[in-house]
Amino acid sequence: MSHGPQNRNSHPTDAAIPVAEKRNEVDRSREPLFELRAISHSYGRNKAIFDVNLLVWPGEVVALVGDNGAGKSTLLKIFAGYLEPTSGSLRFMGEEVRFGTPARARALGIEAVYQDLAIVDQLSLWRNFFLGKEIARKIGPLQVLERRRMRREAETAIAKLGLTRIRSAEQPVWALSGGERQSVAITRAIYFGAKLLLLDEPTAALSVRETRNVLASIHQARDHGLGVLYIDHNMNHVLPVADRIVLLEHGRIVRTIDRGEVGVEELQELIARRAQNAES
Amino acid sequence: MKSFTESLLNVRELAPGLGLLFVVLFFTLQTGNFWSPETMTAVSSVASTIAIVAVGVTILMISGEFDLSVGQNFAFTPIVWALLFVSDGINQWISLIAALGLACFVGIINGLVTTIFGIPSFITTLGMFFVLEGLNNLLITGHQLMMFQPSTAMWLLGAQIGNTPFYMPLVWMFVIAFVFWFVLTRLRYGNWTLATGGKVGPAKAMGVATIRVKRINFVLSALLAGLAGCMQFSYLHTVTQGQGQNYELLAITAAVLGGTSLFGGMGTIWGSVIGAYLLATIQIGLVLIGVPGSFYVTFIGVLLVIVVIANVRLGRFGGNQA
Repeated sequence: MSHGPQNRNSHPTDAAIPVAEKRNEVDRSREPLFELRAISHSYGRNKAIFDVNLLVWPGEVVALVGDNGAGKSTLLKIFAGYLEPTSGSLRFMGEEVRFGTPARARALGIEAVYQDLAIVDQLSLWRNFFLGKEIARKIGPLQVLERRRMRREAETAIAKLGLTRIRSAEQPVWALSGGERQSVAITRAIYFGAKLLLLDEPTAALSVRETRNVLASIHQARDHGLGVLYIDHNMNHVLPVADRIVLLEHGRIVRTIDRGEVGVEELQELIARRAQNAES
Repeated sequence: MKSFTESLLNVRELAPGLGLLFVVLFFTLQTGNFWSPETMTAVSSVASTIAIVAVGVTILMISGEFDLSVGQNFAFTPIVWALLFVSDGINQWISLIAALGLACFVGIINGLVTTIFGIPSFITTLGMFFVLEGLNNLLITGHQLMMFQPSTAMWLLGAQIGNTPFYMPLVWMFVIAFVFWFVLTRLRYGNWTLATGGKVGPAKAMGVATIRVKRINFVLSALLAGLAGCMQFSYLHTVTQGQGQNYELLAITAAVLGGTSLFGGMGTIWGSVIGAYLLATIQIGLVLIGVPGSFYVTFIGVLLVIVVIANVRLGRFGGNQA
């Protein structure tokens, strides 16, 4: 298992990091799932991302951390196909790709889950679960829903995830909490064979129990071999799940930290100190 | 497993159904002739056409848009139909199809203008309301078109059913409501309609063609309004430019009384049919108990506001009902 590619492709400051003993099972000898090569992005004359190299392997959880305005969301949008980088190239499963639209990224198996864009409140659980990918029998020009089958499949998939509060897929999703909705959305992504999951602050404004649910869903996704890239501000939520933590600052990757390398306080201090240095 | 009572409480048509039952009981007790054939004809013929218009308005409202032009379309389409096949001597079926095609065209314009320019459909269709009002006035200039010998098409759309007190629009209402109920609850298109009106962002993110869904529903709403107008003409054998006055508001009222959300994403077809019957029963019932006819709209106005307050209080619009 080589640590090489990561260092080679990352920003030079990465070289200073001692290679820690790895405790995770991410197989980095394989083909990476997603690769950013020398990516830069500008909004008009404002450059937001500077020459970023980043790899995500299958079954790996990568957390993007950093201060506000560090470029985390911009990077995520590039991953999701919402933004076309100004320069550099993207490689997905070994092939160079250009998305253009989020729909094309989705078609390849890149699923972005946003807190407020995950679920339609008024629809029942199974209708949400299969929205846009309904199982339907074609009768002439009509697409007749296979309701029983979708209900059963949604219930099975969600039962596997351990959301025990959900009794029936006929239930409207009003009753679900913010965390449960995201868990449903993540389960949906796994069910439909997504390969890379993108999460923008999945634990923001969630209770402790809900946060645990969402983090469990992230684990679930990783165990199914998905790559996960997510942004989070709370280091207590980052450390237990992330295999790798990527620290961004002013649009550059300034450090990449492997699982178990640092503790929560250390990490928080690191971000705060760098922010302070940047200001002075 | 859900208990029986729980399933029953989840039926959205329950509340309006109970309301209708209450109103019917009230008028049965207060009047001697509520179940007479004349009353049944009056209630069912008023309710059927409002219900058909309301079905179209409902599916459009569920996808998150309004149509205020249905009342004028309700007169416009039969006027065009009648003028074509009476004055111009065109085959009755061809002229019917042409008139309904024109109704659809109205819906296409409503849908395109709303979705392309991103303005509230309330405004688009209010504009269309005035356009059609002007056209109706231009077409028959205050006259009344009357048919002394109804044609086959008119017979099919509006004739009496045997010796019963009921007329063809009632049959069409059931057929149309059934078709739209099926579309809304059993087809992928129905799922997309609910999602589009529920929350456009996630729906779009999941690959639902929200713009197309809205455009199609604008057309369906306009088509049903025009078709119901042709039925009214076939039943009455006459049409004036005043036909369908207030129907845009009555159709929305029927939908809301039947449990359709003003904010989209929720509603049922049968609820709107029940809502239309609620309106018709109250209208005819009030006449029977000797209340001045004009009191009807006042009463409906108060009822509408109370129902919406109750719905908001019960969280049916807010979305926190389990």
